[in-house]
Amino acid sequence: MDLTSTLRRAARGMREEARLHVVSVSSLTIAFLCLGVALLMLANLDALASSWERAGRVTIFLRDGARQSDVEELATALSAIPGVTTVTHVSSAEAREQFVEDAQLGESLETLPADAFPASLEVELAGGSGEVGSQAIADRVSRFAIVEDVETYRGWFSQLQSLLSAGRGVAFALALLVLVCVLFVVGNTIRLAVAGRRDEIEVMKLCGASDRFVRDPFIVEGAVQGFLAALVAVVGLAIGFVLVRGPLDATIASLAGMHTVFLNPVVALGVLVAGAAVGALGSALSLRRYLTV
Amino acid sequence: MALFDFGKKRPVREAQDSHRPFAFFRAGLSNPQASVGNKPILVFENVTKFHRPDQPTLRDVNLTIERGEFVFITGPSGAGKSTLIQLVHRRQTVDEGRILFCGKDIARLTSDSIPYLRRNLGIVFQDFKVVGHWTVFENVAIALEILEMPRRLVRSRVAEALERVGLKGKGDQITGTLSGGEQQRVAVARAIVTEPALVLADEPTGNLDPHLALDILTLFEEIHATGTTVLFATHDHTLLEQRPHRIVYIDDGHVKEARQGLRDWRGTPQPEARPSSSSSYAHAARDVDDRGSPSFGSTPDFAPLLG
Repeated sequence: MDLTSTLRRAARGMREEARLHVVSVSSLTIAFLCLGVALLMLANLDALASSWERAGRVTIFLRDGARQSDVEELATALSAIPGVTTVTHVSSAEAREQFVEDAQLGESLETLPADAFPASLEVELAGGSGEVGSQAIADRVSRFAIVEDVETYRGWFSQLQSLLSAGRGVAFALALLVLVCVLFVVGNTIRLAVAGRRDEIEVMKLCGASDRFVRDPFIVEGAVQGFLAALVAVVGLAIGFVLVRGPLDATIASLAGMHTVFLNPVVALGVLVAGAAVGALGSALSLRRYLTV
Repeated sequence: MALFDFGKKRPVREAQDSHRPFAFFRAGLSNPQASVGNKPILVFENVTKFHRPDQPTLRDVNLTIERGEFVFITGPSGAGKSTLIQLVHRRQTVDEGRILFCGKDIARLTSDSIPYLRRNLGIVFQDFKVVGHWTVFENVAIALEILEMPRRLVRSRVAEALERVGLKGKGDQITGTLSGGEQQRVAVARAIVTEPALVLADEPTGNLDPHLALDILTLFEEIHATGTTVLFATHDHTLLEQRPHRIVYIDDGHVKEARQGLRDWRGTPQPEARPSSSSSYAHAARDVDDRGSPSFGSTPDFAPLLG
């Protein structure tokens, strides 16, 4: 196959049918943008999950009236466990104060008694200790008499995992939708292009062009359409991400304990490659149906 | 190496002249490898083609075209001239019989092989079949691009072909802006730029005025003079009268032929007065018989052409 000739003829075809291709790429960009947004959300949920999984946290609620010496002894014992970075004692008064500040419900909570909130030990785990580490600590400290309850946040974590699974499902469904959309849009564009170039195709066939010689430029055009649409979508998404990240990142960091992330370069590249591949596929399917050479 | 292999692409550089892959088909070229060189370039054997079940367009046609011949295909409208041409470049297929091109039965070619047959043919149509929005260069170059010829060589070959058809310096013009005669020259340039073994012209002068028609005919004769075999379908008897080429006349599906052109029949009796056995009609028929081609058992009737 003469690649130069194929590319030259594809470029000429796209030049001649520029409007058609611009409309097609615009439609496909919207589809890829939807997919990109879903992937971006998924990437951030994933980052959140890994952040929580990596940096585990355990809250040990203490019984009312626990002796200070017992609490200090437990804190010392916890600090000695490998993987534990910090152990902080939060008294009932501090817990109440923190709650009032976080809840921002004003004076209505001011009257709450100090002992409405149990005292606790906040245990931070080093990166990598994760879920297993927190559960091991919970198992070990729950035997102590001064310990009333242990919260390992596994419930939250499993909820987040469920959210991630659902997100992956949505992204997969969107990817399928985008696939169908690309096949449809590229297929129709190529069908119109074939109709517009019927005379050229006839001339080429009369001169002894093989089916492949006739078809290849159309396949290239489909691939270029898919690639361009994916590229515009990824670039647009990146610009949008940068614009939105500024005001929101600090808030998200304080709420979720993580910074927002953009698409992994491999995923972004995958979107571009998939765009080109699906575009080529859409073109090939359309040619199979509409181009009798 | 098979000299003419329809089934697979023949490497361009394996031909005698590395970039003129089909040159050895031309008459007069000595090619020691060309075992096909002595065979007729085109043979129709008992070819029948039906377009309607009860009325064949071509009936049991037997015809032999030798290398380097210039043959007029003529007959009334709807007689089957275009069908005959289209059977050769496999736009249509025979219903019965076979057509041998350089000894190969083209009716048996698979669809994958048809492009390789067409690369050995140059085809010119009445409606030019050029791409109007392409430049003249692009219209001619496409035939060489299909052969995957290097760009540099494409440029020189196209320039050479355009010079041959009198369009030197017009390569950059948009083809649709040219006159009908010039567009037909572009089509001729495209047909000859690959130096095909056989040029098929299907009513190439049908859309042109008489003066231009004669110009185009002359152009084909110049191409023929270089050794290319030409099949020239026309119903324009003024062209036939002026040139003494072999004539194949198709009527009612049957083929009749004469080798000397219509000039020999000037002054011969009109249709109502059939020629006698001593007339030039009979000579023409004897010529056919002497060549070993099929005899039709009666004198060929060219009277309709004489107007």
